[in-house]
Amino acid sequence: MPISFPTTFKPFEQHSPAVDDFLQNKLLDGLWYWNLLDPAEAWVNAKYWQTLGYGPEELPTAPEAWRAPLHPDDLAEAQQSAEACLHEPDRPFEQLLRATHRNGSTVWLHCRGIVLRNDTNTATWLLSALFDVSHEKQAQVQADELAEHYSQILSNQSVYIVKTDTEGNYTFANEYFYERFGYAEDILGTSSLLSIVEKDRAKCIEAVMQCFAQPEVRHQVVLRKLAMDNTVKSNHWELKGILDEQGRLLEILCVGYDVTLLVENLQKQQHLLDVTSQQNLRLQNFAYIISHNIRSHSANLTSLVQLLTEAKNKAQKSMFLQMLTTSTEQLADTIVNLNDIVTINSNVNKPKTVRALRTEIDSTLEVLSVLIRQHHIGVEVDVPPTLEVTVVPAYLDSILLNLISNAIKYRSLNRPAFIRLHAHAEPGMVVLMVADNGRGIDLVKNRAKLFGMYKTFHDNEDARGVGLFITKNQVEAMMGTITVESQVDVGTTFTIHFNENA
Amino acid sequence: MKTPKLAYVVEDDRITAAITELIAKKDLRCRTVKTFGNGQLAFDQLAITVQSGGAEVPDLILLDLNMPLMDGWEFLDALGELTLSKQVCVFILTSSIHPDDMAKATHYQQVKGYFSKPLDKPNVSRMQTLLKEVGGYQYAGR
Repeated sequence: MPISFPTTFKPFEQHSPAVDDFLQNKLLDGLWYWNLLDPAEAWVNAKYWQTLGYGPEELPTAPEAWRAPLHPDDLAEAQQSAEACLHEPDRPFEQLLRATHRNGSTVWLHCRGIVLRNDTNTATWLLSALFDVSHEKQAQVQADELAEHYSQILSNQSVYIVKTDTEGNYTFANEYFYERFGYAEDILGTSSLLSIVEKDRAKCIEAVMQCFAQPEVRHQVVLRKLAMDNTVKSNHWELKGILDEQGRLLEILCVGYDVTLLVENLQKQQHLLDVTSQQNLRLQNFAYIISHNIRSHSANLTSLVQLLTEAKNKAQKSMFLQMLTTSTEQLADTIVNLNDIVTINSNVNKPKTVRALRTEIDSTLEVLSVLIRQHHIGVEVDVPPTLEVTVVPAYLDSILLNLISNAIKYRSLNRPAFIRLHAHAEPGMVVLMVADNGRGIDLVKNRAKLFGMYKTFHDNEDARGVGLFITKNQVEAMMGTITVESQVDVGTTFTIHFNENA
Repeated sequence: MKTPKLAYVVEDDRITAAITELIAKKDLRCRTVKTFGNGQLAFDQLAITVQSGGAEVPDLILLDLNMPLMDGWEFLDALGELTLSKQVCVFILTSSIHPDDMAKATHYQQVKGYFSKPLDKPNVSRMQTLLKEVGGYQYAGR
């Protein structure tokens, strides 16, 4: 097969060598001259080889050497294209070819060609100009990789990306945002502010104001938002005011993520801390109470034993012995009392059950009915029969018994006595009030001591000073509160808040 | 004031009151000891004494803190309001070892000592020493 390798190509001969040089060596990265009638016959210029890394002295001369660097698939495709051009005279020849550089790297050649026809209008040669587009191709590959990389990161991260206009209406929201909040419909154009829970809106507005005051700086804020399934989610946001070319605030870019679990855990911890420090305070207080009460008796015992050994006669001896007996009995009583209180405090997690408050009140009044009738006490119960409280049943019984029997014990002797019980539900709690028109307590002097241990306020011989202390402990062990209002010779009202959430 | 002529024991627990009275007589050599069941009773007596010329003002008051009606603190507050013909030495005698109580006691000028029960030998001898000191000041002031 005769192959001619023209050193110059005919059309160039018509021009000056300078133009020839410019076209062949400066403008193009290679020329390819291909016999369409005999596809095995082709010619490439020296620049082709230079583009692929060969020096002027190293140009391969083998007849079909030009094929070797080209990717076989691309070459086959080029061949098909060329054949197509044979049949379609106006078809442009344009193709991207991969070639292997001498150093092993891939060179991307953009190939654009024209079909040359002979005098009989038969397509004979394909002349192609080659442009090295490896740089562009590489940059594009890198850009694609980068874009792919970031889009993968973003789509695999639980990050909200939202934009709003300066009015706070959505102009963009990513898929994750839609998915997380369960939006089935397009939210663009709707108000972002109104989707935030009401209590957090002021915080949101403040953060947006900061975006206006300091644009292009991230401002952080945690906001709660209602999802379509009615759950409230806490989200940490970074808001940034984006400026247009004129320096006016164009939009607000919001990037956020869910912190619901974090916030919930924080709240749980805080609650636990509150409960613990409260308990700690009570325990410390209790330790002082125990110490005080035990000490007062042990001190007596110590002194009495000392006195007994020093006693001079039988009369003295028997007097001290009698005192010793009384003292030991008192110590035993004290220990029983303390035991009651320890039991309450150590059973903070005693199981609570739901009780109808009215039923419990009625049965307590039944227990005290003899006393109530005996002292002609009027009792008024304004408690709905359906009202329920979540309590430790034994504590509720003890609280009711103590408050009502106190009202009987400290009734006024100057007027017809009455006891009024009222209860109603409030969000998360049940409020019970036990009011009497009895002797009352001077709260200016005694408020701080009222619920203390061994505090008595009237000259009652049987007052032990533990009732209200135990009541308070029981109420607090159920995470409730007890308060008192009282006026001397007018009456007393105890108000208990039963905690229905704890 | 080596030997107080008159001492008050203000204490609601009857056995403790009896013991304290005995010790006050025996070891502190108080000639007369009057016992009151709470602060109010002691204060009422003191107020009457002041009104009637103040001849029977006690030299020493042994004061419990935790009492019904008027506790030790309230008694001290009320005592501060009275104009007495002579200085009264108050010893707090309590079962409380609460640091707040000990700190609070230092704020009362009449309180010369804070004692945790029982009133044993070391406590008694500390009382005796303090009484001598208080007495010394009083004589020096005359």
